[in-house]
Amino acid sequence: MKRLGKLITSNLFDGPEELTRAHQIYFKFFEFFVVYEVIKLSWEWGLYTLKITDVVLPLGIANLIDISFMHGNQLPIINAVLISAIMLISFFRIGSKWLYSIAFILLHFQYVARFSIGEIPHSANLVGMALFSFALGIAFFEKASSRYRFIFGFTIFYIGLGYFSASISKLIGTGPGWIDGRHLWLWIAEKGTDILSREGEFSYTIVQTLALNSIPAATLMLLIGISTEFFGILCWFKKLRPFIILSLIGMHFGVMLSMNIRFDSFMMELLILAFPYPEIYLKYKDQIKSYISGKLIRI
Amino acid sequence: MNSQKKIVRITLISLLAYALLVATHKGEYWPFSIYPMFSKAGNPWTRALVRDVTNIDDDFLWKISDLENLNGSPVPMRKIGVDQIDYSNFVSKTQQWDKERINALRTMLGEKYLSTNDWMIYKVHGKLIGDDSVVVNTVPYLLFKADTTVFNPNLNKSDYFRK
Repeated sequence: MKRLGKLITSNLFDGPEELTRAHQIYFKFFEFFVVYEVIKLSWEWGLYTLKITDVVLPLGIANLIDISFMHGNQLPIINAVLISAIMLISFFRIGSKWLYSIAFILLHFQYVARFSIGEIPHSANLVGMALFSFALGIAFFEKASSRYRFIFGFTIFYIGLGYFSASISKLIGTGPGWIDGRHLWLWIAEKGTDILSREGEFSYTIVQTLALNSIPAATLMLLIGISTEFFGILCWFKKLRPFIILSLIGMHFGVMLSMNIRFDSFMMELLILAFPYPEIYLKYKDQIKSYISGKLIRI
Repeated sequence: MNSQKKIVRITLISLLAYALLVATHKGEYWPFSIYPMFSKAGNPWTRALVRDVTNIDDDFLWKISDLENLNGSPVPMRKIGVDQIDYSNFVSKTQQWDKERINALRTMLGEKYLSTNDWMIYKVHGKLIGDDSVVVNTVPYLLFKADTTVFNPNLNKSDYFRK
C-alpha cells in the first residue's frame, strides 16, 4: 500500500528541481488558459444572473446562506469586475499570494447565484478545479518548481478522481445494468427535446441513429463510456497519461455526438494536460531548431 | 518539511474537505463533484418547451400530443436568450406554482414577448415502454397571455401545488 502511495505521488508530483524556459512557458500558458476561462465564466454567469429573480435549487454555499441577495441588482456584474481584476493582477504576481483564493471564493458565489434555478452544469468544473489548484499552489508554495509540481499534479489528481467517481456513481446508482442500450435511447430522447426547445428543430446525428436502430450498438457505446471513465484514474500515471487523456477526449466527442452535450473547456484543458510538452520539446530541441533554421535558410 | 511532503499533505487535506463537502451536498459542491449525473439510468424524465399559440383555437389549446403534433409554432430558447436547461429545470422542478414563481418564469422568458403573443409552456414526459420503445408525451401546462397566466383546466390542483 505504501509502495502504491509512493508510486502515485511520484507520478503525480515529481518534476524538475529547476524550471527551464520551456517549463516556465508551459506553466504560464496553462495559467493564462485558466485566467481566460475564469474571466469568461464570471461574465457569462454574471450577465445571465441579471435575468434571475428566484431560487429554485440552491447549490453549494447557497444551501447555507440565502443567495437571493445576488438577484435583482448589479452585484453579479460587480463580482465579475472584481474576479476579472483579481485574476489579471494575480497572473502578473502583483499583490497578495491569496488573490487566486479570493477569486475562487468569488467565482463560487457567481456560480451558485447563476445556477440557482435547477440546472447543475459540470462543463466548468475542470476550470474551477484548476483555479483551486492555482489558489493553493500560489498561496502555499514560494519556489517556482514546487508551484509547478503541485499545480499540475493536483489538477491531474482530481481529473482522475472525478472520472473514476463518475463511473462508480453509475455502478452504485444503477448497477452493471447501467450499460443497457435502451437507457441511451431515453437520454437521446431527453437531449433531443432540449435541442428542440433550444433551436426550434432537431435531427438525429449518425451516432444517435445507429444507437436507436441497434440495442447492441447502444449498449457498446455505454460500455465504452463507463470503461473510459473507470480507467480515467490511470491518468495519475505519467506513462499512461497521454493515452488515457486522449481516450477521455474521445469519450467526450462520443458524448457530444450521442447526447448533444458539449464540454469544450473540459477538452481544451485535457489537451493542455495530456502530454509533457516541455519534456518533449527539450528532448527534440535540437531537431526542432535545425528544422526551423533549415526552413528559414530556404526562405 | 520538504516540498514533496508538503504537496502530499495539502492534497490529502483538500481531499478530506472535498469528501466532506460532496458527501453532505448530494455529490455536488462546485467545483467539487463526484459527477453523479446519468448515474440513475432508465428513469422517466420531464423536460419543457415553449410554443407560440397565439392563433390556436381554444378547443385545441389543452390537447396532449407527441412532439411531432404540437400546436402552434416553436419558440427557440436561443432566440430569446434563455438557457434551455435552466428553463426546463425551472418548469420541471417547481413544486408550488404561486404568483412569485409564475412571475419569475415570465421574467426569465421576457415579459415583452408576452404582451403581443400567447405562449404555452409544455411539460414533456419521456419513459421506456416495454422492451423496445421510448414514448414521449407533451402536456400543455401553463398558458402565458399578456395580462394573465392560465393553468391547464384538465389537470388537478395537485399538479401545480405539490407540497
